[in-house]
Amino acid sequence: MNISVTKVEETNVVGIEGRLDTTNYNELESSLKELTDKNEKRILLDLSKMDYISSSGLRILLMYLKKMKAMDGRFMLSGMSKEIREIFEISGFVNIFEIFEDQEAAIKS
Amino acid sequence: MAHYIHFRDPNSSEIEKQLEGIPKSPGTCFFIDVINSTDIKYKTDLKYWGKRLNNTFNFISFLNDLPDNVVKGIGDELMLYIPDEDLFSKTSYNNYLGLIEEIHATIDNIVNYPIEGTFLKCKVSIHYCTDVYNITFFEHANDYYGMDIDLTARLMSKAKANRIVMSEKFFTKVKNDMIDNNIVIENTSLSNISSVYMEDFKGVPWPTEYRYIDVKEM
Repeated sequence: MNISVTKVEETNVVGIEGRLDTTNYNELESSLKELTDKNEKRILLDLSKMDYISSSGLRILLMYLKKMKAMDGRFMLSGMSKEIREIFEISGFVNIFEIFEDQEAAIKS
Repeated sequence: MAHYIHFRDPNSSEIEKQLEGIPKSPGTCFFIDVINSTDIKYKTDLKYWGKRLNNTFNFISFLNDLPDNVVKGIGDELMLYIPDEDLFSKTSYNNYLGLIEEIHATIDNIVNYPIEGTFLKCKVSIHYCTDVYNITFFEHANDYYGMDIDLTARLMSKAKANRIVMSEKFFTKVKNDMIDNNIVIENTSLSNISSVYMEDFKGVPWPTEYRYIDVKEM
């Protein structure tokens, strides 16, 4: 898995490429922690290049959604493939996350 | 697929022939039980219960990265068996540590889901099995038999809501994975694992050592 962090206007875009599971979720956690430690209020996960997400990956997302809400910030997701969207639908995560078609729509929101 | 054992004559000696040469199938067995499901079913309505049971099983299905490993479901309990050869052939989280991390994350997500009442609470028992045969007495069915499967089921008696009970045999496998990958226990979901307990389980001729993790609400 590769992670990239860029800032577009006020939004921190975290790009995830490959599989997100128990072997690498801590890398994503470190990147997100760095942002929340700096009190960043807008984080967008770009999932357009993510192939797979396991329960460990979902847990990190849930954890940071709660954390960002407590900070009065926004934790958004964009660019889900059909397969990833299915996992989010089955898990009920579509009801609790802000999900956008693409990066642009999320950044503008 | 399981070896199908069948013979017509009840006094037949065919079973000896059929069982001869069937190899053992070492692997990890776990049971996931949905707590109080029957109680909820009768105290509420079928829709309320069915929706939550469906949601819970959907979440558990993420563990099924190996799609053939749910062996059987009996009402609100699932038995999964992951033979070592299947686990090691995966391209990711292909060890025991990865497996327990994913099981823990599944229960954690259910416990900490932000919308209350979406899921039903679960408990889990896990054991590393060596005394197991992949056989079935029903054509086209898949099943596993052996003392270690029985022991996994017995371990469930030590579980309660949001608790994962594991035999010391499985925990040793996990510890070995930590050593091999230079991972310290504090950086895993096992950081709050209990000390070891010992119990004589019914039908198991020797005492069993086990530990547990209670998944906490955040």
